[in-house]
Amino acid sequence: MTIADLWDQRIPAFLLSPSQFLATTTSESFLAELLHELRNDKANDQVKILLVSVLLEHPTILCPCTSVGEETALELLSVFSHMPQKSISLKCNVMLAITNVIICTSCLATHTKMAEDWLDLLFQTIQDTNDYRCGLSQQPLRATACDCLREMETCSPGLLSQKLEALYLLKQQETTVLHQSYCMLYTLGLKNAIRILTNQKDVTDLEFKSILGGNEGFAWKSNQLGLTFLPINMMVQVPRLPPGLDCKELKSVMSSLLEESYLLTPTSQSALLRELVEVVAMVPGLSPTLFKSQLLRLFGTAEVELMHATLFMKETFTDSLFTAEDENFLLKRLVSTAQHPLLRIPEKLFYMDCILHFPENRPISSSGEESLPVLVTPRLAASLLPTVFNDSATMLCRLNLLCLVYLEADEGGEDKGIDYLFNHIMALLKIVDSDGSREVVVTSFRAVYIFLMHFSGMEELSEKLIDRLCDMYSRQCRLAPNLIGLVDRIQECLDDYVWSVKLLRGLQKCIMEMPPLQLTIHNLSWHLKVLKRVAKEGQITQRNTIYLLLNVLINSNLCERGKWQVGNAVLAVCRNLLEHPSIDQVFIELADLLQYISVHYDDTDIKDHARFYYSLLTNLSWEKLTGVLAKGPDVGRAKERSHSATMAESEGIASNLTLRKTERHVLRLVKVQEKSLQSSSESSESLEATEETKKWLEVYQEQFQVPGFGSEVTLRYNLTHANEADTLFNRVFTICLHFELKDLNYAKVSDIHVPCVFRDRKPPEVNVKLRPFQPYPTTLCVSAIFTTQDGRSWHSRLPDVSVSFPEIFLPLPLPLNTSRACKEEVFDRIWEAAASGSPDKSAISLFCFETGDESLADLIKTHFQGYLITDEESKRSWKVLFFLPPMCHVLLMITQAEDAVQVSIATDNWELLPFVNSYLQNITDHSSTTGRDG
Amino acid sequence: MSIRALWVVSHEKGESVKVRFSRRFPTVEFRAKSLAGVQYVSVPEDRVIPQLLLTELGLVDADKPYVDARDDCARQHRSPAVELRVDGSGGRTLWPVLIVTQGALILACLPLVEAPPEPRPPLPSLASVSQGLALLSGLQDFLCGPGGKPEPDVLASRLAALPSLLLQVCPLGRPLDTPPPAGSVPVAVSPSPGGAQKQPAWKAGVHRGRAVVSVALSEKVRSMQYGKSSRQDLWDVYGMVMCKCEVEGVLPNVTVTLTLPPNGSPLLDILVHPCVTSLDASILTACSVDENDGSAFSGPYKFPFSPPLELFRLCSYTSQVPVPPILGSYQLKAEENHLKINVVLKLHESVKNSFEYCEAHLPFFNKNLMGSVEVKVSSGQLEVSKEKNLLVWVLGQKFPKAREATLEGTIHFSGTVAGPTDPLCTGLSAYIKLYFRVPDLTLSGCCVDQHSVQVYSSAKPRIVTTRELVSSEYYIWNSTGDAPVSSGLTAL
Repeated sequence: MTIADLWDQRIPAFLLSPSQFLATTTSESFLAELLHELRNDKANDQVKILLVSVLLEHPTILCPCTSVGEETALELLSVFSHMPQKSISLKCNVMLAITNVIICTSCLATHTKMAEDWLDLLFQTIQDTNDYRCGLSQQPLRATACDCLREMETCSPGLLSQKLEALYLLKQQETTVLHQSYCMLYTLGLKNAIRILTNQKDVTDLEFKSILGGNEGFAWKSNQLGLTFLPINMMVQVPRLPPGLDCKELKSVMSSLLEESYLLTPTSQSALLRELVEVVAMVPGLSPTLFKSQLLRLFGTAEVELMHATLFMKETFTDSLFTAEDENFLLKRLVSTAQHPLLRIPEKLFYMDCILHFPENRPISSSGEESLPVLVTPRLAASLLPTVFNDSATMLCRLNLLCLVYLEADEGGEDKGIDYLFNHIMALLKIVDSDGSREVVVTSFRAVYIFLMHFSGMEELSEKLIDRLCDMYSRQCRLAPNLIGLVDRIQECLDDYVWSVKLLRGLQKCIMEMPPLQLTIHNLSWHLKVLKRVAKEGQITQRNTIYLLLNVLINSNLCERGKWQVGNAVLAVCRNLLEHPSIDQVFIELADLLQYISVHYDDTDIKDHARFYYSLLTNLSWEKLTGVLAKGPDVGRAKERSHSATMAESEGIASNLTLRKTERHVLRLVKVQEKSLQSSSESSESLEATEETKKWLEVYQEQFQVPGFGSEVTLRYNLTHANEADTLFNRVFTICLHFELKDLNYAKVSDIHVPCVFRDRKPPEVNVKLRPFQPYPTTLCVSAIFTTQDGRSWHSRLPDVSVSFPEIFLPLPLPLNTSRACKEEVFDRIWEAAASGSPDKSAISLFCFETGDESLADLIKTHFQGYLITDEESKRSWKVLFFLPPMCHVLLMITQAEDAVQVSIATDNWELLPFVNSYLQNITDHSSTTGRDG
Repeated sequence: MSIRALWVVSHEKGESVKVRFSRRFPTVEFRAKSLAGVQYVSVPEDRVIPQLLLTELGLVDADKPYVDARDDCARQHRSPAVELRVDGSGGRTLWPVLIVTQGALILACLPLVEAPPEPRPPLPSLASVSQGLALLSGLQDFLCGPGGKPEPDVLASRLAALPSLLLQVCPLGRPLDTPPPAGSVPVAVSPSPGGAQKQPAWKAGVHRGRAVVSVALSEKVRSMQYGKSSRQDLWDVYGMVMCKCEVEGVLPNVTVTLTLPPNGSPLLDILVHPCVTSLDASILTACSVDENDGSAFSGPYKFPFSPPLELFRLCSYTSQVPVPPILGSYQLKAEENHLKINVVLKLHESVKNSFEYCEAHLPFFNKNLMGSVEVKVSSGQLEVSKEKNLLVWVLGQKFPKAREATLEGTIHFSGTVAGPTDPLCTGLSAYIKLYFRVPDLTLSGCCVDQHSVQVYSSAKPRIVTTRELVSSEYYIWNSTGDAPVSSGLTAL
C-alpha cells in the first residue's frame, strides 16, 4: 500500500467519526503527521488537498486551543508560501484551512499576531490585481482571498470598516468575473460599518462620511458588537442612525450596487439585496424607493432565493415600498408559484410556508405563528386543493393551508370547501382500505389529524369520519396502533375528549360485532390492544369487552394453547378494567373472567397473575385498588408497587420492572491513587532460580504459552456518590455496573456487581479488569442499574472514565522473587531484538529533555519506581521496562548527559511511539524538551 | 446566509446506507454556537447522520408496521425542513435540516439560524433557508443530471468532483452560486477581453465563432378525464422556452418575443430567468389563480435579455386552453371472469394530426394475470404484455381521417398468478394513460417567430426555433368505476 492509499483510507475514516479515529491515536500526533506530510515534496497535490480537508472541516478537534491554532496556522502558512505557483487548487484549500483555524480557535477574536499577519496577506492578495503577470490562472486565489476576508468580517464585524475606500476602488476596477467577490466584500463591510455607527450616540456628518472614505488599517477595536448580531428583521427595534445626515454619496454608492446587481449570480444577488435592505433600514436618509426599479424583475423571478429576498424587502419596508396593489400581486404570485408544475417540491413547500408567514402591510397579529393573510380567499387558494396524486408532504401542506382557508372563510361557499376536504380524506381512507402501503397509511392518518385539529367541532363530519374509521378497522385491524396513536394525539392537543371517546366506543362496538371467524389469533392481538385503550376511558361501559373476552376464552382453544403473549395481552385489558371507575357494574363478570383464566389458562405465569388480580378485585375497595395499581413516583411504598409490578402492565414490563432513567450522575468511579503493580496473571508460579541465566528470555516467553497470561490490567476505583445531593439516592442497593467501550481496542468488560453504596459509609472498591487488544488509551462509558430504598429501579450514566496510557503499564511479568540480574538479562535481550528489528513492528527512538539532578531523581521515583530494572544512580543511568498487555514492551534507557537527559526508547510495537512520546512530554512538561529522532 | 453542513447519503436497496459525501463549515459552526448560546446543538458525527435522516424520512424499520418515532400522526412532514432527533426521542433536535431526495440519493443541508433559537423562528424568516434550497437543487442537477438516475460510476465521478466544485460555489459555507447541471458541456470560451465592461459572474468568458441562437418551445399537457357529468374533466398546459445563444460580446442583447394567435388564451404565471433585463408589468399580471375575464394581456410577450453561455430556461408559463387535445372515453364492464372493454379516442380538430408517437397504455391492477385477449382496434396496433397485465395501443403517427380511433373487446383474467397491484385501482377503478408527442405544435398556440428574435450584434446569427407538445400525466378514467377524488381544479 502506498502512502497515498494509506491516507485515502485514514482521512475518510477520520471524517466519518473523529472520535473513533482518535481512539487509536492522539490529535497531536495526527496533526503532526498531517503537517509533516504536507511538507513532503513527493506527495502530490491531490493527497495534500485530502490532508487539508481535515483542518478545513474539523479545525477545533486538531487544534483544541488558541496556541495550537496559532502554531498550526503558522505551519500552514509556511507550507503555503513554499508551494509552487501552479498548485492553485491546493493553495486555495490551504488558504481556507488557515482562515478556518484562525477563526475557530479564536486567534481572530483574541487578535493574535498570526491573525494580523494573515489578514495583511489576504488583503495584499486581493490588491494584487495584476493577473497578467502570472496569467488568469491566479484568479481563483484572489476569489478565495475575498471570501476569506468576507468570512473574517462576518465573524469580527467592523474589521474592514476603515478600509472601505480601498475596497470600493478595488470593486470598481475589477471587470473580470471576480467583480462579484469584491462587490460582496465591500457591501458587507459597508453594512457592518453603518451598523457599528448606529451604536454611537451622536453621529456627525463627518463621521458618517468618513465611513466611505476610510483607507486605514484593520479596525481591531471596533468589535464591540460581537459576532452574534442578528439580521435586523430579528430585532425588536431596528438600530437607526439619526435623521438629517447627508446621504448623497451613500445613495449613489447604493444605486450603483443595485444597478450592477444584475451581474451577480442569483445566489449572490439575493445576499446583496438583503445587505442593502439592512443598510436602507438603518439610514433614515435613504428611501426604500431605491429598490423600486428592481421590483418587477424580482416579482417575475423563477429563483427561490430572489423571491425570498423580495419577501424580506416586503417585511422590512411594508407600505413604504409596496402598495396595496403590489401586495395583492405578490401574494397571487406566491400562490401560483406554490403549485407551479415546473418548480421542485421543496421549493413549493417553502412557498406555502411563505404564504402562511406572509408579511402583510397591515398584519392583524404578529405572533410569528402560522396565520392566513387576509387576502388569501377560498377562490385564490382553490388551486392548492390537495389531491390523492400529490406526494405526501405536498398533500399535507396543502391540506393544512386549505383547512385554515375554510376556517377563516365567510359563510357561504365555505361548506362546499370543507366538503371537498372531507371527501379528500375519505378518498385517502379508501386507498388505505384497499391495502395502501405503510406510507399511505401514515400520511392518511396525518391528514385525518390535521382535519380534526381544525374541524373537530363540526359534528356531522366528525361522526362520519368515526363511522368510516370503524368500518375500515373491521377489515384492516393492523391499523390498531395508528388509531390508538390518533386518539392519544387528539386528546393531547384538543381539550375535547368527545370525539376520541366516540371513536373508541365505535371501535369497541365494531370488535363486538365481528363474526367469530375473524377473531384469529393474529387479529385478536390487535383487538386486545384497542380494547386495552378503550378500557382506559371512564365514560365507556366495559361490560361488552368482558363478555367478549370471556366468550373468546371459553369458545376457542386459546386457553389450551396457552400462549403467554396472548394471555398477557388479555390481562393487560383486565388491568385497565380494574381501574375503570364503573367497575361495580361489571364486578361479577370481571371476577368470572379472572377466575376462568386462573383456572383454565395453560400458562402458570398467566394463571398466577389472573389469580392475583382476582384477589385484588375481590378483596380491595376500588379506591385502594386504583391506589395499588397507580403508577408514578407519588406512591412511595415499595411493597405495593412490587405487587402491581408482577401483575404486568403490558408485554411483561411492569411498573417496578420499569427502569426509571435519570439524566443526572448519581454515582461515579474515582481512581484509587496508589496504582496496583501486580499483574493479575495467576499463573506466575515461582521460577527455579537455579536456571541458567541465558535462558531467562525463553523462560519469560514461555509463560505466555499459558492462555491469558499477562493479558489483563486491573484498575482500582472507589464507587462513590457523584456530587448530586438528592436524598433519594443516599442509599442505593444491588448496583450493577455496565461498561461500554468507545473503541475496539479492548475486549468487552464484564459487568460488576456491588451490594450497596451508602453516602455516609466508606465507598466500596471495584476492580475493573481490562484486556487490551491494542494497549491504547481509551474511555469507558459506564452506566449503572440500581435500586433505591423505596424499591424502584434506576438507570443512570456515570461520568465517563478515561484510561490514560500510563495506567495500562505493568511491570515485567516475572515472579516476585526473580533476581535483578535475571530481569536485566530479559531487558537486554528484548532491547537487542527490538534494535535489530525483530519483530517487524519494532522501533527505537530517542527523547531528550533538560532537567536538574534533583528533579531527575524525583521524576524517576515518582513515575518509574515500579518499573525499574536497574537503578545505577551513581552512573546516572536507569533501565525502565513497561509491559503492556497483551504482549507489548516499551523499554527506556535513561542516561544523563552533560546538558540533557537522553531517553532511548525501544519497543516491539512502533504504533505506541506517539503515546510514549506524549507521555514523556507530559511528565517532563516542566523541563524544556527537545525533539525526538526516529 | 450560510450553511453549517452538507451531506449526500445513498440508501440503495440491499446495501447499507452510506454517507457518500459530506462537508462541514467550521466557521459557520463557530457562529452558530455563539448565536444559539446554551441552546446550541452540535452537528453529530457523519457516522450517525444516515440513520437520523432515514428516521425522519420514514425509511427505517421497513419490516415493522408501526413505529412511534417514525409514524406518529402528530409529526407533520409538510415542510422542506425536518428536525433530527440527535439525542433520541424527547431529546434535543437539530433544525432546520433541508432534505431533497432523488431515487436512492438523499441530499441534506443544515442552514444557519440567524435568529434567537427559542421560540423556534418561522422558516421564511431565515435567509439561509432559500439559499440552502437553491444549493441543494443545484447539487441535485449536478449529481443526477437530466435523466435523474445516473449510472453508479458516473455518480461516483460526479461525487468525486464535489470538493473542487464546492471550492467555487460554497467555499466557507456561504453559497456564492449554484452548481452547474451535470452534462452541461463546458463551452469553449475566450477570456473576457477586458475593458470597461464588467464581466457577469454567471458567464465565465465570451463566445467566439459562428453566431447561433436556438429557441425551443416545449409545452406539456396534463389531463384527468372522467367521462361523467358529476365530475368535471380537467386539463392544463404548461410550457417553457429553452435558449442557447452563441453570440459574441460580454453582454450581448437578445430579445425573444412570444406571440399568441388572435383569441388565444393568455400565458399565465410567467417565471423568468434572472438574465432577463427588463419586464413589462403586463406580462406578469395574468395569474392562474385569478378569474380570467378575457381582458388580460395576451401578448406579444417580449423578453429582452443578455444570455449566459450555457443552455438555460428563459421563461416558463401555464395556460388554460379551452379543450384537451385528445378526448377519450373508457368503459369497462365486469362479467364473470372477464372484462368487456370499450375505448374511444378523439383527436380535436385544432390539433395537427401528425404525431412523433402516440400510445395508450391500459394497465389492469389487482387481478390475476391475463389469459386470452380478444381485442380489436380500428387503427394502429395492439401489444399485449400478459406478464404485466398491460395493453399497449400503438396509434402511431396519425389518427384515421375521421380523427377517431376505437378499441373494443374482452379480456379474460384466467391466470392463477396474481398480477400487479395498486391501491388506487381497485374494482372497476382503472385508467388509460396516454403518451404522445406532436412536433411543431403548441396547444396554447404560443410561438416564437424566427424573425422576432432580435440580436444586437455585428455578426448576423443563424436563428433556430422549434416547438413541441408532449403529454404528461394524461389520464382517462373508466367512467363505469370510481375514479379517486380528482385534482383540485374543480369548480367551487
